[in-house]
Amino acid sequence: MATRALKPSFLETNLIVLAVVCVLGSAFFSLKLIADRFALTEAWQSSDLIWLYAWLLLGLLGVALASSAVVRFLARPKAKDNADWLQRQLVALLPAGLLAVVVLIAVEGLVRGYAVPLAQIPPPSLVVQRLWEARDVLWRDTSTTLLETIVGFVAGGSLGVLMAIATQRYPFLERGLMPYATLFSSVPIVALAPVVIRAMGVDWQSKAVIVAITVFFPMLLNTARGLTEVNPLQVDLMRSYAADSRRTFQSLRLPNAMPFIFTGLKTGAVLGLISAIVAEFFGANGSGLGFRIVVEIGTVSLDAVWAAIVVASFLGITVYNLLALLERRVTGWHSSFRAED
Amino acid sequence: MNKSFIPMLTVALVVVVLSFPLMVFLNAQSAQRLLDRGAELPCGSALSCAFNLRSPVIPAPNQLLEDFPKAFFPLTDPNSIPFHGFFTALATVLGLLLAGVVGLGLAVLLTVSRAFERAVLPWLVASQTVPVIAIAPMLAVVLGSNGVQGLLPKVLISAYIAFFPIAVGVAKGLKSPDLLQVDLMRTYNASSVQMFAKLRFPASVPFLFTAFKIAMTAALIGAIVSESSTITDAGLGRLLSENSRASDSRSLWLVMFGSAALGIALVALVGVVERLVTPWRRVR
Repeated sequence: MATRALKPSFLETNLIVLAVVCVLGSAFFSLKLIADRFALTEAWQSSDLIWLYAWLLLGLLGVALASSAVVRFLARPKAKDNADWLQRQLVALLPAGLLAVVVLIAVEGLVRGYAVPLAQIPPPSLVVQRLWEARDVLWRDTSTTLLETIVGFVAGGSLGVLMAIATQRYPFLERGLMPYATLFSSVPIVALAPVVIRAMGVDWQSKAVIVAITVFFPMLLNTARGLTEVNPLQVDLMRSYAADSRRTFQSLRLPNAMPFIFTGLKTGAVLGLISAIVAEFFGANGSGLGFRIVVEIGTVSLDAVWAAIVVASFLGITVYNLLALLERRVTGWHSSFRAED
Repeated sequence: MNKSFIPMLTVALVVVVLSFPLMVFLNAQSAQRLLDRGAELPCGSALSCAFNLRSPVIPAPNQLLEDFPKAFFPLTDPNSIPFHGFFTALATVLGLLLAGVVGLGLAVLLTVSRAFERAVLPWLVASQTVPVIAIAPMLAVVLGSNGVQGLLPKVLISAYIAFFPIAVGVAKGLKSPDLLQVDLMRTYNASSVQMFAKLRFPASVPFLFTAFKIAMTAALIGAIVSESSTITDAGLGRLLSENSRASDSRSLWLVMFGSAALGIALVALVGVVERLVTPWRRVR
């Protein structure tokens, strides 16, 4: 039974194959067209443009076919084994991946076809080239931004957790601190950055402080929620075991807070990275992704700007998914994961 | 609210009291450096100078209080913070509304077509972990070089930043009705338009407002960043970058307080609209 459910039906296999053929064909012929008309400064003739549009339409058709085939495939009952899980994950990502390919080729072709100035939209190929050429500089920028983010994240995060534990112990502190934490979530970090940089200088420490401040509040809010939103029945049970408050904290409140802490960690990491980059817009000592973006905008080399943006995006996705992986490891027992599988 | 007023005041006082020695220490250091260099200061010792530096590391409370009325009043003065804040707020709110319209449209498409969802939603979700704001300064310059100037580029950038959380939030909301409710609508022979009008849209409203609150802060950051990276007539971002360049820390602090107040007010505005639009959720 389970093995039968694993195999895609005849129709689905053919649809997926057809879709991949469409996308690959579109990619091949669009790229060939782009390579033939290599000049970056001069617009193509309309006949070439019509071919480009035709190939791109074919690519989009392929994405549409792939998407509907994948939807049908995922609608079938799940088998409870790892191979099935992996296959599902891979197939589920297929349409998004194909769409990215088609969109990138479309941008490349249209930017070249209409001879869009480099100072407006650089073609993706040039961005990739710049990524490779400027890898040393970008690596230095990345390590600076990462240093700021990690130091600030660890400092602000641990302070947030400690403060949350304190607020759980002392209700006075909770009533005094929590309203500020809620309010702070709507304060724009940009306004904070110049002030802190003015006070602490342009070195990485000032950005780490800004990151710490932005990470502190979501960590505080989420951890405090996890520590206090415990099932009253479980609290009663702990009491009937004659557990003191320390024991209750260890065995009940902290495990209960773990999923909330991870939500805070994930939100905090993304916010921290954003605030590090935004803070670098306002002052940095020679390196940093935000600094690179501002500097390269100043010289209108937009391919370098996009390269920095690509690196920053990659950084954000990696950090988030690493934390999500850790979360699965640590809180795999939690119902939010069991329900999914 | 009344119950937490005294604790809140206490926390605020503790923060002020703790930061006071830090302020005096840092400013005195900087004053000492100026005195060593032989600069003419109107005050005698480094310690007394700590409260009256022209450009202090951290402004003293007396300086902030002294500057406050000049910086905030009269409200219509073209140099006052509220005047600039008004233009930033205008760009933010317009951007949020634009993002709301586009995001809502996209979310409807995502709900209607599972295939479309498969191809597009992963990118929308990934956008939540990506510093989208990194594109804002470049967008500001590119739009500016294409002759898009004044309020419009700020609105576009705010909308662009606010779009992602709104689209994701509303898509989640439109999908929130459970299978039983959808089945019930089907047994009533509801058309797909009715399904949206009577079930999915009402169910998505709480999600919509949560997303709007997140998007409002994001849009405000977008507006401020775009103001500080192009030449605009008015806006908090312009004040920030001008004062940052002139290292006028006294004004910087006031602009920071102004921006913080604006952010809080704008999010509170979303909360007020939410309560007006969804009176049935008021009782909790």
